[in-house]
Amino acid sequence: MKTILSLFILSILWSFSSAQDTKISGKITGEDNKPLFGANVVIQGTIDGATSDLNGYYEFETSKAGDHVLLFTAIDYNEKKIAVIIEAGKPIEANAKLNKNEYETEEIIVTASSFTSGQQSQVTITPLEIVRIPGSDADLFRALTTFPGANQIDEGSRITVRGGDANEVLTILDQASLYNPFIFDDDFNTSSYTTINPWGLKGINFSSGGFSAKFGNALSAVLDLKSYDMPQGTGGFLWLGLANVGLSGVYLSKDKKFGATFDIGQTILEPYFMLNGYLIDSYNPIPRARGTGGTLSYKVGKSGTLKAIFDYSDDRIGVRNTSPSYDGFYNSTSKTFFGNIKFSTGLGSKSFLSAGLSYSHHKDGIEYGLLNTTSIEKYSKLRTDITYQLSSKVDLNFGGEYEYNEDSFDGKVPMLSYDLALNAPSFDINSKNHTGRIGGYLEAQTKPFKSFFIIAGLRTDYHSLSKKTVLDPRLSLGWKFAKDMVLRGAVGLYHQFPGLEYYAQTTNFELKPEQATHYILGYELDKMNGVFMFRVEGYYKDYKNLVLRDPNTFLYTSNGKGIAKGIDVFLKSTITNKYSTWISYAYTDSKRSQYENQKEVSANYDITHSLTFVASYNITDNITTGLTYRVSSGKPFTPITGSTFDSTYNVYQPMYGDANSERFPVYNRMDVNFQYLFSLFGRFAIAVFQINNVLNQKNLYDYTYNADYSIRKEIVTTNKRQFYLGLGVQF
Amino acid sequence: MKKLTIVILLFCMAALSNVWADDYSDAIVKAKKKLNEASNKDDKAALLKVRGDIERILQLKKNEWMVNYYLAVVDFMMSYRAIEEKNNDDIKKYTESSLALLDKSTDANDEFAEAWIMKMAVNSNRWIYDFQKMNEIIGKLTEAKDKAKKLDPDNPRYYLIDGTNSYYTPENFGGGVDIAMPLLEKSWDQFQTYKPKDETYPDWGKDQSAGMLALCYVKKEKLEDAKKWIDKALEMNPDSGFIKGYIMKEYEKAGGK
Repeated sequence: MKTILSLFILSILWSFSSAQDTKISGKITGEDNKPLFGANVVIQGTIDGATSDLNGYYEFETSKAGDHVLLFTAIDYNEKKIAVIIEAGKPIEANAKLNKNEYETEEIIVTASSFTSGQQSQVTITPLEIVRIPGSDADLFRALTTFPGANQIDEGSRITVRGGDANEVLTILDQASLYNPFIFDDDFNTSSYTTINPWGLKGINFSSGGFSAKFGNALSAVLDLKSYDMPQGTGGFLWLGLANVGLSGVYLSKDKKFGATFDIGQTILEPYFMLNGYLIDSYNPIPRARGTGGTLSYKVGKSGTLKAIFDYSDDRIGVRNTSPSYDGFYNSTSKTFFGNIKFSTGLGSKSFLSAGLSYSHHKDGIEYGLLNTTSIEKYSKLRTDITYQLSSKVDLNFGGEYEYNEDSFDGKVPMLSYDLALNAPSFDINSKNHTGRIGGYLEAQTKPFKSFFIIAGLRTDYHSLSKKTVLDPRLSLGWKFAKDMVLRGAVGLYHQFPGLEYYAQTTNFELKPEQATHYILGYELDKMNGVFMFRVEGYYKDYKNLVLRDPNTFLYTSNGKGIAKGIDVFLKSTITNKYSTWISYAYTDSKRSQYENQKEVSANYDITHSLTFVASYNITDNITTGLTYRVSSGKPFTPITGSTFDSTYNVYQPMYGDANSERFPVYNRMDVNFQYLFSLFGRFAIAVFQINNVLNQKNLYDYTYNADYSIRKEIVTTNKRQFYLGLGVQF
Repeated sequence: MKKLTIVILLFCMAALSNVWADDYSDAIVKAKKKLNEASNKDDKAALLKVRGDIERILQLKKNEWMVNYYLAVVDFMMSYRAIEEKNNDDIKKYTESSLALLDKSTDANDEFAEAWIMKMAVNSNRWIYDFQKMNEIIGKLTEAKDKAKKLDPDNPRYYLIDGTNSYYTPENFGGGVDIAMPLLEKSWDQFQTYKPKDETYPDWGKDQSAGMLALCYVKKEKLEDAKKWIDKALEMNPDSGFIKGYIMKEYEKAGGK
């Protein structure tokens, strides 16, 4: 027994001497060497360690010895490791400076002229805001026109940027190009709507200039939309509105490997027209649009996702129109199908690949007077993008695409553009053209030192019909020179091949790609992650090789040119959670010789001043009200100054004044809405009441004339004061 | 023979002391106790200190889903402090951290009901700073609730959080005191019989459940009943920071003594 005891004591002594404790201490600091409170340090692989105090100091004792690694961690900071050799009894001092993890914001800081939404910490607009903007009718494109740089045309959903045509804005959804995401598009005096559902989007990035080399064949702007790879859960949403009904559903399997969504909707305009006092007999048929769409997603392996999207919509409408040569209904129909299959996967830990194959088919029919045409546009595209992390400071993006486009145009058109009478001289057109475009890009995204970003890219495209190749170098810089302030700049070359309808009217398809050089400089102040945001940006764009009609041969040439310059100002503020507001102002001066305009005159969509004010206020937790007010300079137009009688065809021929020398009156509109969130049968429900154009302002769509052009008449837009009611239930 | 016994004995002791020094369960149990003390005292430094203790347990690479759960609980408490201090930056920081940790927990062990229950509580914080993502919040809350209910329908903390969320939800959103009370009563009843799997599993919430019931009675202006529940809570946990720092104050504001 004695031996046992002595051995016991001995063993304890032994353990004490061999495991003499070593003190480890130091200071943990963060940004600007400020002490970090509550940071953690641990000897990796053990639970020996400590938490830093208010002054950033820590100390602890350990019985471990030998080579070890101290691991420092703190919330919102990158971890840091320091190797130490612990010798029994010899105190160690180890100080650590941790860096804030800022990776989330890098992507956004650099890009000039862009407005984003998504999961990043800095977003300019969220889907809920889109739905809530009064007057935007929950339409993504219209919501974007409340930002500077983008203008709404004809009160519809098409966006024009800095004086250019709507077709200079490229819309991308998950790598696929969307050419016709609209219903009631190009119809007479009718607002178009986009068919894109904002709720399905995880990222929205609208750039009105200086965008990345990833995007080709776009002259002015890019709207880059990314949908969720997988639905976020299972459920559904039913919408009953005065003008439209819709049903959508999402499904996510239990193992989260399979997901599906669908939506279906239709407009029912009769009650809406009756409530708002529209004359039903000025429509035949009453406008009707319907659509259905869906997605299927499947997780492949650890990081791969296969996703298919499809969307179909059609519409028909007839609007009464009295023109100098014909009085009757302007009838149009359209059918659009869009499909995309996308596969994305991580390749190792440093690269990411996504590849997509898309197809779209759009058919459009128009009948008015003798005019009777059908056009079909088909696009298919294969695209691959790869992101590769070369080092911690350099990311490489590269990829390629091939796009096939086929247009056909059939029908009867007037010989004299102004004479649409049923018995007027006409001719038949039957044309069909196709082209291919192959493009590739390489882009390096670097951060040579802290708070400085450079994106340098190069892209090239070859157009098979015109056999022309373009080379576009682009550069974008961002400098976060103070905590809340960023200075940004971009310069680059942008090309877009004209649409096939222009090539069809040339000799030997000899049109050059339209070219723009963008120069952009901007400043941004962002206090407290978007609580207060102020941006100002100046730009200059130089255009060359614009499509221009030769007045003698009536064929198109590439002799058009022009410039656009201006300033965009944006101010957004969220005061508490109750009140948020933004104001955008844009000044634009855009002059072009393009299409029929032989001299450099104001571009067709040159809106000199444009001011938008948006505010929303939460009256209570479940009642929100909002107001949008827009005022902008009138759109330019070419006046008709008189006419001569053409006895051969028995019709008056208009005499045109200087191109785009006059403007419509100032455009003015105020919209308000109320939303009420409540519970219906235990489900979340939302009721919406909105009044568009509250002040019943008369805005002009166009001018028309009597038969001999001696009397000018106004065509007022159909957006007079309108009441709308809707109810949505989530289940 | 004697010698052999000694050797064996020594061997055992050495092994035992090793276990004591590094054992996962022991570390968790100690941390739980300290966490309880720190939360009663409502002491930020003490909370952060326990947070560090728990974070270091991750190094043992054992049951990380449980360790991350406790870290998430601390961060939720920190976010709660931030709400009282009206410090928006910290509300967001600790809520997001707590949610990320709970995701780690459920990603590693989908069957751990307690983590889903915590998600029900933590996601509600997002209404304060992330209101715009309403749809996402509702989705996350519904998912957490469905999962928790399915995995552990008897868990008293499930009813406690469900009841608490209902209490703070306006009536026309399907909440209110009348919806909350039966849930909290159910929570209280479940607490009487519910046994955690072992001592490393969470066991908090009994005093909160009584406290929330007291709060319901305060709202219904039945101060005597409220007092009864406050006493019950204090019987359970005489130092309860939740009762002393919050419920009693509300009770006194309403005129209770």
